Amino acid sequence: MKEITLTIDGKQVKGKEGDTVLQVCEANNIYVPTLCHMKGLTDVAACRMCIVEVERERRPVPACTYPARDGLAIQTHNEKLEKYRRLVLELMFTERNHLCAQCVASGDCELQKMGYKYQMDSTRYPYAWPTLPVDSQHEYLVIDHNRCILCGRCIRTCDEIVGVHTLDFGYRGWKDVVVADLNQPLGKSTCISCGACFQACPTGAIFSKKSAYKGRRPESQEITTVCPICGIGCAIKAFVKNNMLVRIDSPDPSQHDGLLCYMGRFGPLAQEHPRVKTPMMENARGKLEPCSLTEAVDMVAKKLAQVKAHNGGDGIAGVASGQVSSQALKAFKDLITGTLGSKFLDTLDGDEYRAVIKGASASQNKMNPKAKTPLEDIFNADCIVLVGADPFKTHPVAGSYIVRAVRRNKAALIVVDSTQNAFPGYAAMWLKPKKDKEASVLNNLTKSLKGSPIKDAATTGVSQKELRQAAEALGKSKHPVIIYGEAVLRQHNAGLITSLHNLATVSTGGGQPNIIALKSRGNSRSAWDMGLASSSESVINSLAKNGVKALYLLLGDDYVEANQLPWLPKGIDFLVVQSSYLSSLAQKADVVIPSPTWIEVSGDYSTLDGTPMSVSRITKPLDGLRADWEVINDIAKRFK
Amino acid sequence: MAKVKVASVWLEGCSGCHMSFLDIDAAIIDLANAVEFTRTPITDIKEFPEVDVGIVEGSVGNTEEEEVLKDLRAHCKILMAWGDCACFGGVCAMRSTLDKEDCLKRAYIESESTVDGKIPHPPGVPALLDKVLPVNNIVKVDCYVPGCPPEASAILYGLKELLAGKIPVLPPDMMRFD
Repeated sequence: MKEITLTIDGKQVKGKEGDTVLQVCEANNIYVPTLCHMKGLTDVAACRMCIVEVERERRPVPACTYPARDGLAIQTHNEKLEKYRRLVLELMFTERNHLCAQCVASGDCELQKMGYKYQMDSTRYPYAWPTLPVDSQHEYLVIDHNRCILCGRCIRTCDEIVGVHTLDFGYRGWKDVVVADLNQPLGKSTCISCGACFQACPTGAIFSKKSAYKGRRPESQEITTVCPICGIGCAIKAFVKNNMLVRIDSPDPSQHDGLLCYMGRFGPLAQEHPRVKTPMMENARGKLEPCSLTEAVDMVAKKLAQVKAHNGGDGIAGVASGQVSSQALKAFKDLITGTLGSKFLDTLDGDEYRAVIKGASASQNKMNPKAKTPLEDIFNADCIVLVGADPFKTHPVAGSYIVRAVRRNKAALIVVDSTQNAFPGYAAMWLKPKKDKEASVLNNLTKSLKGSPIKDAATTGVSQKELRQAAEALGKSKHPVIIYGEAVLRQHNAGLITSLHNLATVSTGGGQPNIIALKSRGNSRSAWDMGLASSSESVINSLAKNGVKALYLLLGDDYVEANQLPWLPKGIDFLVVQSSYLSSLAQKADVVIPSPTWIEVSGDYSTLDGTPMSVSRITKPLDGLRADWEVINDIAKRFK
Repeated sequence: MAKVKVASVWLEGCSGCHMSFLDIDAAIIDLANAVEFTRTPITDIKEFPEVDVGIVEGSVGNTEEEEVLKDLRAHCKILMAWGDCACFGGVCAMRSTLDKEDCLKRAYIESESTVDGKIPHPPGVPALLDKVLPVNNIVKVDCYVPGCPPEASAILYGLKELLAGKIPVLPPDMMRFD
C-alpha cells in the first residue's frame, strides 16, 4: 500500500492510501471525537461528531468517511469545529429522551461522556419529547427507542460482525427507529440473542435486563478470560462489582472471534436453575437434608468402601459430564479407576465418543478423529455441508461463522437434515433425507462426487438431481468444511460418522479433511482425550448387567434432569450427585455435593478441536463451596 | 465592598440542589461575608428584592412555577440554573413524554388505592403545564450548573466565578448529568 503524507493540525503525518482521515488520525494518536464510529464496522458518518476542516473544502467533512489523500491539510480542532460539535450534541440530546437521571446507562454512556467533554450545560433547542415504544419482550434485551441516537452501530454489528442482520432502520425522518426484521418485537424476530448490539450501543437504547442497575463498567473490576460452555472458546471480559457479576462483554467485538452468544454473555447472569447451596444427605425418612461437607465426604467414602468390600471395585461406577473442568475430570478418573479400582468409568456422552471413534476409524483413510479442524476454517470455507446441526441453538458463534462464510465468501451451504433447515435463506440447498437415511444420502453424495453410479436415491428422500447439484458445489470448492452436530451425535451411529468422514475425505480430494463435530458439552474433547469415556460399552446403560451398586455422577454446572437418564436408579443402592443445580436428578441422590459453576472457580478446559484453554475465576463461589476436584481428592484421601 | 445580593427559588424539583449547596460546609462562612441571601427556600422570605444573582432549582411544570420564575428573572441581573431539572428538565420531565390528562387520570382516578376518584380543580391550585420544561424554555438564563444534584464543589465553583465577575462554565471534570 502506498504511503501518503498529510498535514494534520499543522503536523506532518503518514498514512496509507485508501485510509480515511479518521484512520490516519487514529494511527497517529490524534484524537477526533466519534459516536457512530466503531472499530471493525463500516463507517457511515451518521453522528457528525468527527467533522474536520479540510483545506479547499467549503464546509467541514466527516473524518470517518473522508478519504485521506497525499498532501491534504486538515484541522481536527478549532473554535468553529468545537462549536459545531456541541451543536450536534445539543440536537441529539433534544431529539429524544436523553435525560441521564432517568437512564439505566448513566455513568456508562458515550453520549453522556461527550456531553461532559463539550461542557454541554444546557440546550438551546426545544425538546421533541417523542413517545416511542419500548420493546421489552426479549428474554435478555430491551430496546428503548427514546434513548437512541440512530448511530446504527447495533445494526452494523448485527449485519457485519454477527452476520444475521436482524436489526435495521425502519421508517424515515423523525420516525426513524431501529427495527428487528419487518418491525417484529425483538423477542419474536430472527435475533439470536448474542447481545452484540447491547455492547455496541453507545447509550442506554439497548440494555440488558440481566445487567441493568447491577453496576457500571467504569466502577467494576475487569476479568478477561475464556468461556468454556460450548467448546468454541470465546474470549470474554467480565465485569464484577462487590463479587457480583455485572455483565459480560467481548474483549474486542470488532474481530470475528470477538463474537459471543446468549450462553456466554447472558447465561452466567441469568441463573435459571436453583443452586445446590450446601451438601445434602438423605435422612432416615428418605428426604435430602443439609449437612456439612465433611459429613458428606465421610458418608460417600464410607458407602463406597462398603460397596468395594462387598462387590469389589467394579461394584462402583463413575460417570462424568463433559462440562466440568479438566482438573475435576482427572481427579474423578483417579478416584474411580485408581483409588476405587473400578473399570466402569464413562462420560454422559460416552456413546457419542464410541460412535465417533468407531466411525472415524472405519472411514476410508482411517482418519484420526482427534485431528484438529479449527473453527476458523468455517470462516474461510467456500462450501459447507451441515449435517444434523442447529448451530444458532447449540454453538451460536459457529452459526455466525457459517452465515458470514455464505455472505462474504459466497460459500455454498448444503444442509443435510431430515427435520429442519437451520439456515433458511442462507442454505443453497436443503437435502432432506428420510428418517434414518442420512448415511445413505451422504454415501450417495460421496459417490456422486466421485462420479460413481447411484442406485438407491429414490429410497433415501434425496433425488439424483439434488445430489448432482450438491456434488457440483462441493466439487468446485477449494475449501470445503463438513460440520455435524447434535442430531447426528445423539444417534450414536458409527456408520453415519464413517459416511461423514468419507465425504470429508473425498471432498478435499484426499487431502486433510475438514470436519467439525459440534459436541454437546464444552469440555467433552478433554474428557475423551483423557480417557474418561469408556472405550468398550456404555457404563450407564449396563449398570444392572454389570452388577453396579454405587454410582457417582459428576455433573458440575451441567444441568441434567432425571428424565434425561431413563436408567436411573435401577439396582443402584447408593447414588452420589455432584452438581451445581438442584435438578430432579440431584434430588434422587443419597448424597448431593455442591459444585461451583465455571465462573466461580478457575479451571482448564479444551476447545472442540482440543486446544487447551485456561478459564479464570470471575466471582467467589457461594459460601463454603469448594472446587469439584478438591472434594473428589478429599474422598480419595479417606481411602489412604 | 457591598455584599452581592442573591435570591434563590425551588421550583419543580426535590430540593437536592439546595441540599448540595449546604454541603459546601465551612465555605459557607466565607461566602456569607461576600453574599447576602434574600429570598431563598431556606430564609423563607416571600418577596424578591432587586438582586444581583438569581438562582433557580427545578424545572417548570405548572403556572405558579412559571410566574415565580418570571418574577425572579425580573428582579435579578444574572440568572443561574442549578441542577438537571432547571438545565434540562431532569427527572420531573418524565411527565413530558406523557399526556397531561392521562397523568392526572392515573394519579387521581386510576391509582390502586382510589375509590370514586375525581381530578381536583380548586381555585388557587396552579394548573399543570402541558410539558415540564427546563427554565431556559421560559426565560433567559445566563449560566448553568447541571447535575442531579450538582456536586457541592460545582455549586461553589459557580458562585465563586460569579463573585470574581465571571460567567461560570463548568469544566468537564465537574460536569454531571446524574
